[in-house]
Amino acid sequence: MELSAVNLTKRYGSKTAVNRLNATLTNGVYGLLGANGAGKTTFMRLLCTVQRPTSGKIDLDGKSIWKLGERYRDVLGYLPQHFGYYPDFTALDFLLYVAALKGLDDKKAKNVSNELLDEVGLSGERRRKIKTFSGGMKQRLGIAQAMLNDPYILILDEPTAGLDPKERVRFRNLISAFSKDRIVILSTHIVSDIEFIAEKIMIMKSGEIIHFGRPHEITSRINGCVWECSVPTSRVEQYTVSLNISNLRNEENGRTVLRVIADQPPVAGAVKVQPNLEDLFLYYFKGEDGQ
Amino acid sequence: MKKLIRLELRKIFSKRLTQLALVVVLLLSAFLAFSTYQNKYASDGAGNEGTGRTAVEIDKAVAARYSGILTDEKVQQMISEIVPKSGENGLNAIYLYRNTIQSAVSARFSDINGNWNGLRVSDVFGDETVKIGYVDGWLSTSQNMTKVLVIFSFFIIMMIAPVFCGEYSGVDNIILSSKYGRTKCAAAKVIAGIMAALITTAIVLAVNLLMAFVFYGSEGLDCSILFAQLTYIEGSIPFNLTCGTLLVYQSVLAITGAIGVTGITLLFSAACKNQMIALVASVAVYALPLLLPVTETSALFRLIVLLPIYHAQFISLMSVEQMSGILLYAIWAVPAALILIAAGSIFSRRVFARHQVS
Repeated sequence: MELSAVNLTKRYGSKTAVNRLNATLTNGVYGLLGANGAGKTTFMRLLCTVQRPTSGKIDLDGKSIWKLGERYRDVLGYLPQHFGYYPDFTALDFLLYVAALKGLDDKKAKNVSNELLDEVGLSGERRRKIKTFSGGMKQRLGIAQAMLNDPYILILDEPTAGLDPKERVRFRNLISAFSKDRIVILSTHIVSDIEFIAEKIMIMKSGEIIHFGRPHEITSRINGCVWECSVPTSRVEQYTVSLNISNLRNEENGRTVLRVIADQPPVAGAVKVQPNLEDLFLYYFKGEDGQ
Repeated sequence: MKKLIRLELRKIFSKRLTQLALVVVLLLSAFLAFSTYQNKYASDGAGNEGTGRTAVEIDKAVAARYSGILTDEKVQQMISEIVPKSGENGLNAIYLYRNTIQSAVSARFSDINGNWNGLRVSDVFGDETVKIGYVDGWLSTSQNMTKVLVIFSFFIIMMIAPVFCGEYSGVDNIILSSKYGRTKCAAAKVIAGIMAALITTAIVLAVNLLMAFVFYGSEGLDCSILFAQLTYIEGSIPFNLTCGTLLVYQSVLAITGAIGVTGITLLFSAACKNQMIALVASVAVYALPLLLPVTETSALFRLIVLLPIYHAQFISLMSVEQMSGILLYAIWAVPAALILIAAGSIFSRRVFARHQVS
């Protein structure tokens, strides 16, 4: 299957959230990176048919997803960035409700719901009311509901928000196991999650995809722009103002190793290092309200 | 679809506010019924008098003496036996109250001194055959139910207002991206909304009628509402209906009112982004007919009176016209309610299906 966006545009009044975006997605895990307001969530909402584009189209195997309607949504799973829930429903009730919306029969709904609760680590909480859940538990429940219909297209907006490191690892494994022969699109502010899971990266800025490719292809664009240098710890504050620092590491000898994004060597003795996604993110979104 | 309807019903009834408000309506019903019962007073003029249960028993005993078709002979008999004469307690007879039958006969057939006013049964009721008996219990129940049903309408608005717009705070993302979110789910919401309104209406009616049975028994259901005591005359229904027919009409109008107000509320629930706005808009539209400067003699009133608030406050609607026998103009409330619910259903489903999350 092939999911393609052609000249996709979404405007809210005078603001353009998604601007003539073109992308073709086939099987694989896609990581969506961008600063706040870059248009990631709007793009995902358009893919999920919860918003209509101002112009342009999205096709699944050449057919408009809006015309496919139920047939498209039947193969879709979506975890929104912010989603509501029914406080007086238990976790199992909520999943059974979403399963009914997705057209699963009673028996399958119960089986799949219990399996997914198990997979997201909520099997012991299935009878607990959602209003008693922590943020991370609600997020895990959200992930489970998105996967209820074994979707061919899975869209996850900030899926790891609120998850502790152990849960993030569990989530990565879940997605890795799930993603075979499917299209999985996820956005997260935790760049390392994308590094681990995503096969391809889409970088969005001002409603457009400015880079699209495999992680090493994308990061290679800033080869020669990432440096490491050792500076006295007492001067670190001064450097943080003047340089674009992606990381720093204190050493025992009163010095600190800075990882700096810059086109030229930031200080004498700085050495070039292999860029990673975090560097890339800072390279493109320095100064923006980036995530 | 059945499962979706069941789950939507569960969502409606699992809300604490809904549960609490329903309990309040039922408690109000109980309070009105009990306080009305306790405040009953009757005297048979022969030394027996009392309140509450005693009063009901006295009223029933007096009514039993004259029960049956009202005739001129019975009128004369009642005037001589139970109608008090002026001078007792220093008041004109017209102001004296002993029991419900005495009040009914005094109001129509006696003068201010407690003597016959010269009117015959045919002068007061025309060609109608008026069956008399103990009607006070049922008429009290009907009066109380009118108050309860008006308040109950607001409960329905409160219960139905979140059906669609309650989802707009985030769950719409999940619903509208699911297979049946824009189709069956919207239909299930409408059906569940109607069912919730009907179920709660049935509960409220059942509780009120059951309490009436417990307090007053079943006597008088086949008696005319026209021969009622003084307090029921003003603003009463001028047609020769039995108490049973009256209660059937009131129950049917309670149901049509519930359906109508559900239609209005569903419409605003889908169109408004916020539950509070949906609630206020629904209440405003529901109550608006009462504020319109339209008199009961106006032709426009015949249309306005078909709106749901007049189904709950049913006296005006019941008083418009007797079409034939027990068939009153009020029967038009049924198609009026169906039109409202059809409009509400179609509009709300369309709006929800086209809704875009924000």
